[in-house]
Amino acid sequence: MITLIYGGSSSGKSSYAEDYVCKLNFKNRYYLATMVAYDEESKERVKRHRNLRAGKDFVTLEHSVDITEAIPEILTVDSGDFSTDSSLPQEDIILLECMSNLVANEMFRDGQVFSSDYCLSKIIDDLKELHEKVSNIVIVTNNVFEDSTEYDEGTKDYLRALGKINQRISAIADEVYEVVVGIAIPVKEKGRML
Amino acid sequence: MILIIGGSYQGKTAYARENFPEYRYLNQLHLFVKKRLDEGKKPDDIMAEILEIIKEGDWAIISDEIGNGVVPLEPEDRRWREITGSILTALAKEAAEVHRVVCGIGQRIK
Repeated sequence: MITLIYGGSSSGKSSYAEDYVCKLNFKNRYYLATMVAYDEESKERVKRHRNLRAGKDFVTLEHSVDITEAIPEILTVDSGDFSTDSSLPQEDIILLECMSNLVANEMFRDGQVFSSDYCLSKIIDDLKELHEKVSNIVIVTNNVFEDSTEYDEGTKDYLRALGKINQRISAIADEVYEVVVGIAIPVKEKGRML
Repeated sequence: MILIIGGSYQGKTAYARENFPEYRYLNQLHLFVKKRLDEGKKPDDIMAEILEIIKEGDWAIISDEIGNGVVPLEPEDRRWREITGSILTALAKEAAEVHRVVCGIGQRIK
């Protein structure tokens, strides 16, 4: 199961995504955080998100690039789990928050700038590899596409990468929601476009 | 309270007049928020002021959605759109109905 949750800044998409994951009956909930806290503002943001998901039983994994590196960590946590509670499905779910940061981090890494084509195939390949191990992934992504400024080539290439990745994910997703003022509007349900 | 949101120039006010003619309007809430942030007011106080305004009678709050673009360079612009987003999300919880207007066409989402 792949679910894509799309929304603008402060649209309530994270809160919705967390509630969505917590309503599902999965044994291990992983929160795959992709943001790098490099300044006070982003540290505040990380703090706000940590508070938001406090008590919701997530195992937090932090990978700002190369999300496949989460796989060995997930295997370690899973193998250490000897619970015999059979009422819960022996499955994992990942909440990836968020794609817009992951794309930025992959695009502008190691002092270089990588192309949107490269980032698109790299991130989709990484996601596929992750999906082979964990079949349930909820991805939060950002609507950064509806303003009126003409951006420089670098920003445009970033928007191109994120836009294409969103499209690729929504094509294979079972469910896609757009969150607006905290309200989720279904765009795709049970694999069917609405 | 009815909340009507959408991008700029989508016909939100005309939609409000057509569908809620008997209501009083608090229009351009995003600019209402900006003005108060520029004056140094705190988000909680802005929210309290809004709730005080709409306390009596039937109100339709109308606002642009301003969070759907590239992250602004200026910190105060980032703050404005984030606070507007969280105020709108909080108002949506309180609202009896939420309508989103695109190209003049309203969709009731709550």
